[in-house]
Amino acid sequence: MKKLLALLLALTMVLSLGSMAFAAEGAEVISDVEDTITIMAPPIIGGYTDFLAEWIEDFNKMYPNLHIEVTATSWDDNVSRLNTLCLSGDAPDIANIECQTLGTYVDMGVAVDITQYMPEGRLEDYDESVLGYMTLDDTLYGLPLYVSIQAMGGNKAMLEAAGVDVDKVQTEGWTYDEFLEAIKNGTTDDTYGFVFANAGITTADFVHIFGSVAGLSNDFTADLKYAYTSENMLNLLNAIEEIISSGYMPNYGVEAGTRLVMLETGECMITGKAMPLFESNVNTNNAGIADGTAVEGSVEVEYVFLPCPMMEGVTETCYGMANAFLPLRNNNTTDEHLKNVMLFLDYICSGEPAAKTAGDCYLSAVCESGREAQASMTLDQSEGNAAAAAREVSLVVAPPSGVTGEQSGSANTIMDEVIVPKMQALIAGETTAQEMYDAICEAAFDAFGEDGCETGFIA
Amino acid sequence: MEERKSTIRKRGKIRIREDHISGYLFIAVAMVVFLVFTIYPLISAIITSFQNYKPFGSTWVQLDNYKTALSNKLFWKACRNTIIYTALTVPMSLVIAFVVALMILPFRRGSQSFFKSLYYIPAVASAVVTSMVWIWIYDSSDAGLFNQLLAFFHLPTQQWLTSSKTAMLSLVLMALLSGNGSSIIIYIAALMGIDNTYFEAAEVDGATFFQKVRYIVLPLCKPTTLFLFITGVINSFQVFINAYMMTGGGPDNNTTMIGLLIFNNAFKYGKYGLACAQAILLTILIAVMTAIQFKVAGSDVEY
Repeated sequence: MKKLLALLLALTMVLSLGSMAFAAEGAEVISDVEDTITIMAPPIIGGYTDFLAEWIEDFNKMYPNLHIEVTATSWDDNVSRLNTLCLSGDAPDIANIECQTLGTYVDMGVAVDITQYMPEGRLEDYDESVLGYMTLDDTLYGLPLYVSIQAMGGNKAMLEAAGVDVDKVQTEGWTYDEFLEAIKNGTTDDTYGFVFANAGITTADFVHIFGSVAGLSNDFTADLKYAYTSENMLNLLNAIEEIISSGYMPNYGVEAGTRLVMLETGECMITGKAMPLFESNVNTNNAGIADGTAVEGSVEVEYVFLPCPMMEGVTETCYGMANAFLPLRNNNTTDEHLKNVMLFLDYICSGEPAAKTAGDCYLSAVCESGREAQASMTLDQSEGNAAAAAREVSLVVAPPSGVTGEQSGSANTIMDEVIVPKMQALIAGETTAQEMYDAICEAAFDAFGEDGCETGFIA
Repeated sequence: MEERKSTIRKRGKIRIREDHISGYLFIAVAMVVFLVFTIYPLISAIITSFQNYKPFGSTWVQLDNYKTALSNKLFWKACRNTIIYTALTVPMSLVIAFVVALMILPFRRGSQSFFKSLYYIPAVASAVVTSMVWIWIYDSSDAGLFNQLLAFFHLPTQQWLTSSKTAMLSLVLMALLSGNGSSIIIYIAALMGIDNTYFEAAEVDGATFFQKVRYIVLPLCKPTTLFLFITGVINSFQVFINAYMMTGGGPDNNTTMIGLLIFNNAFKYGKYGLACAQAILLTILIAVMTAIQFKVAGSDVEY
C-alpha cells in the first residue's frame, strides 16, 4: 500500500513537473486572462489592415484571450497622431515608426525595453544588425519589419544612350564622376539627367540617400560624432550645387509623386529616391499606355534600380531605413500586459506576416522565419534589378550603437530646422554650399559641442 | 411679489435672487465649455511651460523652456515671419472685404445671398483641401496654373513656394484670395445697419459716392472694422495650416510661423514644455498687440 501511495505521489510530482516544463517551454502561454491590445498602423503595404485582420484571426486561434484593436492611419497623420496620443499618456500599445524617429519616443519616456518582455528565445530569430536600427543607448526598443534600401532608379534606354553600362553599374556600382558624365549626357531640352524628390519633408530623404554618395551613411559616425559637419558634407553640398547650376537637375523642389511621373513620361533619366518596388509601378504604367490608364504623356520605360555613385575615397554604402513596430507605454500598461503585447508584436514581425510585408516591398525579410516563409514566394522582378537590390542590401550600414535619445532628437531637430530649409534654399540658388555648411556647423556645435562633431573626412 | 422673489443669502451680503439662478443656469453650459476647453488648457499650458514634460514623470525646469525659446534664432525668425504675414494680410483683407461688401450691397436680396455664399465657400471647405488646390496652382513646374498663365504671356515661370522671394508672397496671396468670406458677410450686415436717412441727407447736400463712403460709411463701420481688425490679427498670429501644408516652413524657414514652430515642437519632436512656453509667449504677444490696437483705434468706438 505504501509503495502504491509513493508511486502515486511520484507520478503526481512527475506530471506536475512535466506540465510546468511544458508551460515554461511554451512561454507564450503566459495567462488566459482577457486582455486588449491596441495597434496603430499606417498602410505599410497596400491593404495592410486587411492582411492584419487575417493575421489577428490566426493569432487568436493560439491566444483567444488576447483581443486586438486596430486603428488605421494614413502616412500623413501617423506621426502627429501618434505623438499626440503619446503625450497624453494614451499611446497605442503598438505603433509603426521609421527608425530615425525612435529617439523622440525614448526621450518622451514611452518606449519600452523589449528584452524584458520578449518571449524567450524569440529575439534570436531577428537579424542582429537590423535590431541595431531599433537600439538606442544599447537598449532595444522595437522589432523591425523590413529594411528598405533607398537609392536611385532610371530609364534603361536613356541610360544606355547616355553611355552608361547599366549591367556593370548594377553589379559593381559606379563613381561620382561616371554619374556626373551620365547625367550631363542625359540632359536635353526636354529631359533632366537627374531628378530627386526634394520638396518639403522629402528634402530629408534627399540628404540621407544622396549623402551616401559622399560617404555619409548615418547621422553619427562610429565614434558617435555628428557626421553632417564633416568634410564629406561640404563635398556633398558642393556636388549638389554643381549639378543644379549645370542644369542637370531642376532648380526647384520636386514633389514625391512628381519624380516618378517624370520618369514615366521620359522627362528624366535618373530619379530618386527609388526602390526596387518601383519596377512594379513602372511596369503597371507601361501596361496602361495601351488602355489609356497610364500617366498622361507616358512612354515605355524599362526601369532599372541603380546604386548611388561614390565619391573618391569613401566606402560604398547604401542608405537603408528600418520600418519597425514599437511597443509603447500608456496609462494602463502593466508588465503582464507588455508580455501580451510582445507576443502579438513578435507574431506580426516574423514568419508569414513579415514575409508578406517585406515581399510586397520587393524586400527580403529581416528575420529567419520570415525568410523561410519567403522561400516559396516569387517576385515579378528583372534579374538585373534583383542583383542590384541584393548588392545594395549588403551595403546597408545600421546606425552606430550607443547613440542616445537626446543625440538622436537633436540630430532630427537640426535636420528639420537647419539642413532641410537650407537645402531648399541651395536648390533654389539662394544660398551657397559653403554658407549652408557653415549654418549646419553652427547649429551642430551648439547642440553637440565642437568635440561631438566630426569635422574631418570620413573615409 | 417680494415673496415670489425669494432670496438666497450668501455670506450675509451677496444676494442671489431666484431669477438670477435661472440666468446662471442659462450660461452654465457655455461657462462649463469655456472653463474646460479654454481656461483649463490655458492654465495647464502655463504649468507645463515650466516643466520638461513627459507623459510619465515631468520635471520642473523653472524658466529653462522660456530661455530656450527666447535664445532660439528660429523663434525670432518665426516671430518676424508672422508679423510680416499679419501686416500684409490683415489690412489688405479688410480693404478687399469692405470693397466687395460695398459692391454686393446694391444687389437684391437673392443676388446678395448668391455672392455671399460664393465668397463664403472657401471658409466651408477644409483648409487642407484648399491648400492642396493652391499647391497645384503654385506648382513650380510648367504644370502649375500660375506658371501656365505666365508662360501664356511669355513671361518666365516662377518657383512660387520654393523660392524665398515668392514663398511668403504666395501664402499672403492665398490668404487674400480665399479667406474673406466671413469679413464680407459681417461688413454687409454692418452696411445694412446704416440708417438710410444719412444717405438721403448726403444726396440732398450733393455728396458724391466717395464722399458718402468717406464721411458716412467708414465712420459708422468703424466698430466693425476694429472688430475684424483685432480678430484678424489674432487669427493671423495663430496661422498654421497653410504654412504646414504649402511650404512646411521653407524655404530656409522663410515661411515658418510661430504656430508651425509650436506644432513641430509639440507634435513632431515631443518637446511639449518648450512648445507650451512658446505658446504662452505668443499669447502675451497677441495680448499686447490687442491692447495697443484698442488703445490706438478703439478710443472713440462704442459697441
